[in-house]
Amino acid sequence: MKHSKFLRIAAVAAGLSMLAAACGDDDDSATTDDTEPSGEVAEYSIAYVGPLTGDAANLGIFIRDGARVAVEEFNEANDDIEVTLEEFDTQGDPAQAPTVAADYVNDESILGIVGPAFSGETKAVLPTLEQAGLVMVSASATNAELQDVVPGGKSFHRVLANDAAQAKGLVKYLTTSLKPTTLAIVHDNSEYGQGLAVNQLAAQLAGTGIEIVATEAIDPDSEDYSAAVNVVKSAAPDAVFFGGYYEEAGTLAKQLKDEGVEATFIAADGALDVGFIEGAGAAAEGAQISCPCNLATEASPGALGEFATSYQDIIGNEPGTYSTEAYDATNILLAGITDGNTDRAGLLAYVEGLTDVAEAISKTVSFAENGNIEAEGIFLFEVKDGAFAPLVATDDL
Amino acid sequence: MSSRELAINFSALVDDFWAHTIDGLAVGSIYALIALGYTLVYGVLRLINFAHSEIFALGIYASAFAIHGMLDITEPRAGLSLVLTLLALLITSMAASGIAALVMERVAYRPLRRRNAPRLTALITAIGISLVVQEFLALRYGRSRLNPQRLFEKESLFTFLGEEVSNDKVLVFVAAIVLMIGLDQFVRRSRLGRGIRATAQDAETAQLMGVDIDRVVMLTFLLGGLLAGAAGFFFLIFYEAARFNIGFLPGIKAFTAAVLGGIGNIRGALLGGLLLGIMEKYGAALFGGQWTDVFAFMVLVLVLLVRPSGLLGESLGRTRA
Repeated sequence: MKHSKFLRIAAVAAGLSMLAAACGDDDDSATTDDTEPSGEVAEYSIAYVGPLTGDAANLGIFIRDGARVAVEEFNEANDDIEVTLEEFDTQGDPAQAPTVAADYVNDESILGIVGPAFSGETKAVLPTLEQAGLVMVSASATNAELQDVVPGGKSFHRVLANDAAQAKGLVKYLTTSLKPTTLAIVHDNSEYGQGLAVNQLAAQLAGTGIEIVATEAIDPDSEDYSAAVNVVKSAAPDAVFFGGYYEEAGTLAKQLKDEGVEATFIAADGALDVGFIEGAGAAAEGAQISCPCNLATEASPGALGEFATSYQDIIGNEPGTYSTEAYDATNILLAGITDGNTDRAGLLAYVEGLTDVAEAISKTVSFAENGNIEAEGIFLFEVKDGAFAPLVATDDL
Repeated sequence: MSSRELAINFSALVDDFWAHTIDGLAVGSIYALIALGYTLVYGVLRLINFAHSEIFALGIYASAFAIHGMLDITEPRAGLSLVLTLLALLITSMAASGIAALVMERVAYRPLRRRNAPRLTALITAIGISLVVQEFLALRYGRSRLNPQRLFEKESLFTFLGEEVSNDKVLVFVAAIVLMIGLDQFVRRSRLGRGIRATAQDAETAQLMGVDIDRVVMLTFLLGGLLAGAAGFFFLIFYEAARFNIGFLPGIKAFTAAVLGGIGNIRGALLGGLLLGIMEKYGAALFGGQWTDVFAFMVLVLVLLVRPSGLLGESLGRTRA
C-alpha cells in the first residue's frame, strides 16, 4: 500500500514537472512513454477484495496480508515483473460490494482478484465479475452454493473446501478419532452457526452411534449463556460442539469451564481466531477447532512454517485464519502472470482447470470445473499453551 | 430437529430448577441495580432516561480500565489484596458512572428543563446521548469484545439444594442487595431523601416549601449513576467482557424490570429485577436460549395487562418514612 501511494505521488510530481516544462517549451515533453528502453520492468496489478474496516476487519486483514507476502516475495524474486496489490475495502458487506466492484472491474490494469473474502459479498458480485471476464480466487468464502450463483460461470474459484465438506470432515474426525459417545450442540442461531451445527453436523451424525444429548442456542448479543450452560452441564456430554463465531465461542467455553463442565470443546472455522483464546482464557486450553483452511504457525513443518516466518518478517505478526489460503490464491495468479498471461482473458483461461498447483502450500489445490477445490479434507487445531497447534488433517484419518 | 420450532422442554426446567433460579437471582440483582436509575429519574422528572444504559456501560469500562491501567492486575488475586482491589474497583466504577450521570444531566437535560421543552424532546435527547457514548466507546476502544483480566478464581462456595453456588454469584447478589437497602433507607430517612420524595410528589409545592429542585434532580441522577456504576462493576466480575454496545440489552431489561415492579417505585425495581432475572432463566430453559428475551418481554406484557402500574405501583412520592 505504501508502495502504491509512493508511486502515485511520484506520478503526480512527474506530471507537474511535465506541465511546468510544457509551459516553457512545447516540443520536448510531447512523448514521454513509461516504457524504458533497457532493463524493461513490466507492471501488472492484482486486487485484494474484502473487508479492511468494520466488524470483520481482522479476518480481512489476515487475508490481505497473506496476499501481500506472496506479492512481496514475488517482486523480490522477479526483476523484470513488478506486481502491485491494489486493495478494495468492502467491509465484508454484500450491500457495498457491488459499488466497490465497479472500481476494480473498470480498472483495466487489474488482471485478477484475491477474494472476495465472504460468501455474501461474493454472491453479490459474481455476475459482474463473470461479465468482465475477471478471474477471482477466494481464500475464505465457504458457502456451499457459491459455485452455482452463475451457472456455467468461469470466474469463480476458491482454494478451500466449502461448508458441507467441513461438516463431513467433522463427522469423520468425531467418529474415527475423538469418538465421544455423547455430544451436546450449542449454536448462535446464525445462518452459519445453526446451519453448520444443526442442519449439517447433527443431521450427519444420525446413525453414527454418537448421541446428541442436548441442542441449545445462545443469543450472541448477550453475555449470559447460563441457560445453555446449565442444560449442557446436566446432560454431562463427552464433547460440546459450538456453531458460531470466536467471541461467543470464547465466552461459552469460559462459562462452561467455570460451571465445571469438563467436556472437550469443539468449534469450527468461525472460532479459529486468537480472539477465542483471549476470550476463553485458561478455558481455551485443549479446545479443538476445525477449519477447511490450514493455519500456518512458525512451528508448522515445511513450507507452511517457512510461510509463517516470512509473514512474521514482512507483516510483523503471526499469520491468522485464511492467511495461508490467501498466499496460495495470490501465488496462483502470480504464476499465471509469469506464465505470460498478462490480460484478463489469458489469466482466466490459465486458472480455469488448474490441477495440482505446485505453489500451493496449504493443501493440494486442483480446481473442479465449477471452480470449487477438489480436495474435501479439513484441518483440526488444538489450543496448546495459549496458541493454536495443528492436531490432525482429516485426509490422514 | 430445527431449534426454530418452539418446543417446550419441561425437563430442562425441572432438572436444573435451582441452577436456573440461582443464575436468575444473580443476573436479576444486576438488572435491579440498573433499574433503580430509571425508577429514580422517572419518579422525580417523569422522564425515561434511555441513556442510563450507557451510564452502566461507562461503569463497565471504568472498571476494565482500572483493572488494566490503574491497578495493572495481571493475575487473579486472593485474600486481603482481593478485598482491597474489589473495593477500589467498585468505588472507581461508581464514581465514573456517577460523574457521567451528573454531566449528562447538566449538559443535556437541564437546558431542556430550563426551556420547558416537551417531554418527547428529552426522550430523543436520551437516544442521542446513548448513540454518542456508544460510538465514543467504539472509536476509542474498538468494536470487538474486550476481555478484562479475571479478578479472582471462580469456585463453588457452598451447595444449595444440590446446586453448587459459586463465589461470584454470591458476591454480586449480596452486594447488590446491600446497596439497594442502603438506597431505600437513604430515600426514606435522610433529609436529602425527603427532598427527593417531596419533589416526586409535587415539584411545584416542594419548590415553594424551599426544596432546591436543581439540587434534587442532580442528586437523583447521581444516585442512579452510582448504582449503575456498581452494576457495571458486578457485570464485569460476572461476565468479564466489555463491548461498546454492552449497555443496550441489560439497559432495556432493567427498564423492563422497573416497569414490571412499578416505575418510580424503589422496592418495585428490586422485585422487578429479581423476578425478571429468574423468569428469563426459566423461559430460556423451557423454550431454549434464543427465546430468553422474547420470554422476558412477554412476561412484561402480561403483567401490564393485569396491573398497568406494575406489581407494586408507581409510588416514589408515596414512600413514607
